[in-house]
Amino acid sequence: MNPYLAVAALILMVSMMLMLPLIPAFWELRRKSDARPLNVVQQNAGEIRHFASSFRDYIKGLQPILQRCVADGISASGALPDGEEYVVLGRADEPLMLALQQRDTTHPVMMAAGVDLVVPPSGTFSRDIYAGAQFIGGDKNSYRAILGETNVHLGASSRVTRWVHAVGDFTADAGCRLYGRISSDSLIRLRADCGFLRLNAPRIEIGNVAINRNANLPDSSSSRSAPVERFFHDGDFEVRAGDVISGNMVIRGNLHIRSGARIRGSVKSTQDMVLDDGVSVEGSLISARKLRIGPNCAVHGPVVAERELAIGSGTRCGTLSLPTTVSAPRIEVEESVVVFGTLWAREDGEVVATP
Amino acid sequence: MIYVLYIIVFVICVYTGRHYWFTLNRLFGFQRHPYIDIDTADWPPVTVLVAAHNEEKVVANILEALMTVKYPADKMIVIPVNDRSTDRTREIIDKFVEDFPGRIQPFHRAGGKGGKAAALKDAMRLVSTEVILIFDADYIPGAGLIKQLVAPFFDLEVGGVMGRVVPLNAGTNLLTRLLDLERSGGYQVDQQARMNLRLVPQHGGTVAGVRLSALREIGGWNENSLTEDTDLTYRLLLNGWKTVYQNRSECYEEVPEVWPVRIRQIMRWAKGHNQAMMTYGLHLLLGKNRATLRERIDGTLLLGVYAMAPVTLVGWALALAVFYQGIAPLHGVIALLSLTAYAALGNLAAFFEIAAAARLDGTRKRICLLPFLILGFAVSIFSVSRAAASQISDLVTGAEFHWDKTERFRKVL
Repeated sequence: MNPYLAVAALILMVSMMLMLPLIPAFWELRRKSDARPLNVVQQNAGEIRHFASSFRDYIKGLQPILQRCVADGISASGALPDGEEYVVLGRADEPLMLALQQRDTTHPVMMAAGVDLVVPPSGTFSRDIYAGAQFIGGDKNSYRAILGETNVHLGASSRVTRWVHAVGDFTADAGCRLYGRISSDSLIRLRADCGFLRLNAPRIEIGNVAINRNANLPDSSSSRSAPVERFFHDGDFEVRAGDVISGNMVIRGNLHIRSGARIRGSVKSTQDMVLDDGVSVEGSLISARKLRIGPNCAVHGPVVAERELAIGSGTRCGTLSLPTTVSAPRIEVEESVVVFGTLWAREDGEVVATP
Repeated sequence: MIYVLYIIVFVICVYTGRHYWFTLNRLFGFQRHPYIDIDTADWPPVTVLVAAHNEEKVVANILEALMTVKYPADKMIVIPVNDRSTDRTREIIDKFVEDFPGRIQPFHRAGGKGGKAAALKDAMRLVSTEVILIFDADYIPGAGLIKQLVAPFFDLEVGGVMGRVVPLNAGTNLLTRLLDLERSGGYQVDQQARMNLRLVPQHGGTVAGVRLSALREIGGWNENSLTEDTDLTYRLLLNGWKTVYQNRSECYEEVPEVWPVRIRQIMRWAKGHNQAMMTYGLHLLLGKNRATLRERIDGTLLLGVYAMAPVTLVGWALALAVFYQGIAPLHGVIALLSLTAYAALGNLAAFFEIAAAARLDGTRKRICLLPFLILGFAVSIFSVSRAAASQISDLVTGAEFHWDKTERFRKVL
């Protein structure tokens, strides 16, 4: 073979090999098949009621049928323009409603009820439910999503896989597993052994709450908007029982706040933090690891633990007038706890019995 | 000569290892988003500063967006900082002031020192809230962004907050697509990994926030800095304040669409970064300050990312020189240098980081453009080296830095 030709062939081959990874690059550059800006969450921004609001908009077309069914005491069924099948219930003793009364059945159609809806136990509701009046679920049911225009009550050991929104009170009996978003415009009440992820309501009661419903912490919003004066401490720190500390604390270590102490500011610990019985904190409470609150504590501002959070009985977080967020990957809440605002367990939340 | 090469190869290996560490952490490690779940609170009053210098093409967009965000209107005041604009910026801002009475307080600056930091410094006389957010005028904040950026300030250690920047004009041409990939690697992997590992997430000066008391404690905005964001990050760190990164607090921006603008932008960043390295590097690493050991090490490496471009060039030159001198035992070292060089420029994002970021973002085909990043890499390495050379020359001649504004490409409204 001609040596010049061999060299030329070698150069050509090497060039082709080098060009190989550029072929898909040029292809994509020309076709622009994935050139749109990254889709970022711009408008709903994680709003807890987003799915409920979207569902309300979605079923607007059903409202005339629902009103007619309620007025005439009949039911109707059909399909929405996108093919979604529905059942509209206008009377409690109507045949379609009675079909619900059978146990251990699966209901694969979207339901809209204009009257009180009482469903039997051990059913699976794999499509969304709209309840124009009260919704009362039997035990051991499984729901995809429920929008209730008044109260929603789930029987013991029920399961929600996506979301529930109640305009009125929401109650989950013992042993319910609430995956996804649960919200109410007035009250959420969870009984013992319930599991949860994200809850939002003006008032969230865990277990039997025996404290004054109107009790509020003093309003300290004015102190929080003032410039921050920080008390900085490197290493573990302990606040003695009954001490009153006016100011904000940053502890680079473990922090233990003893019984009855009062912090008139916010607290941050870069490691574990423990609040004993009857501690009150007027600002935020943030731990970079584990946080144990209570019992009978009161925290005004947001509560964040980066690893685990345990809340003892009788503790209150936020107030009716100034709701707040309590958040951690894993949360254990004892009974008789009240949170005003959001209770958000990113991985696992559990209601546990008071020891 | 050979020992210098050894040192350079070692430093490049450190940066390469750092990139892999960050990427693996992002793919498999514990992800920290501690403040993103705070959605209900007694929200504090906040001031939003919008830096605007000849921004007639974009300023209306951001003001419109800010007027529709989900934050209590009585607790948010917007201050457009009109820095000596000679176009219609003032007119547009004043129209918004009329349309939204009590919600926008304009700051029109007619003279004074140039640059964003100097303008922000002057505007501070209007600021009285503890929480301040800063946006450049070409950004478009989403409805929930303000709450997300304010939430970390409930943590008393937090002095600064940084959100994620996402190019809006990503699909315009090859440059914007490459910048889209670079931004993705820089934020989705680099910044979030530093957040996860409790290192030093960098304040970006836009889609960002700062605590007023922290700012006062560190002496306010440094008007002599070319990159006030890097300067702020390090002064906060030295004084015991944390800067946190919120990866889910995304905001659209406009990236340069032509290479000369991009080159000027990266040269300014390089000069500002190097300036911060000279000012704070030694003090951070060895001085008495409140930074933790891991913050000191990462902070120092972060300060050095733009210095790595000339260092890599010198490394290549030295490797060639020793090769032609026939120093045989260096084959392994040279091979190591060539392997690591492409992954060495931290802030320009290593390919592995970018590929992982594209995966995390759930994008599909744009990763095909990865080989073209060699082009961006080549432009960056020479531009950044040129910036370093001109900085040294300025130091010798005593010439002053000047601030280049990044040109906008949106159509005038």
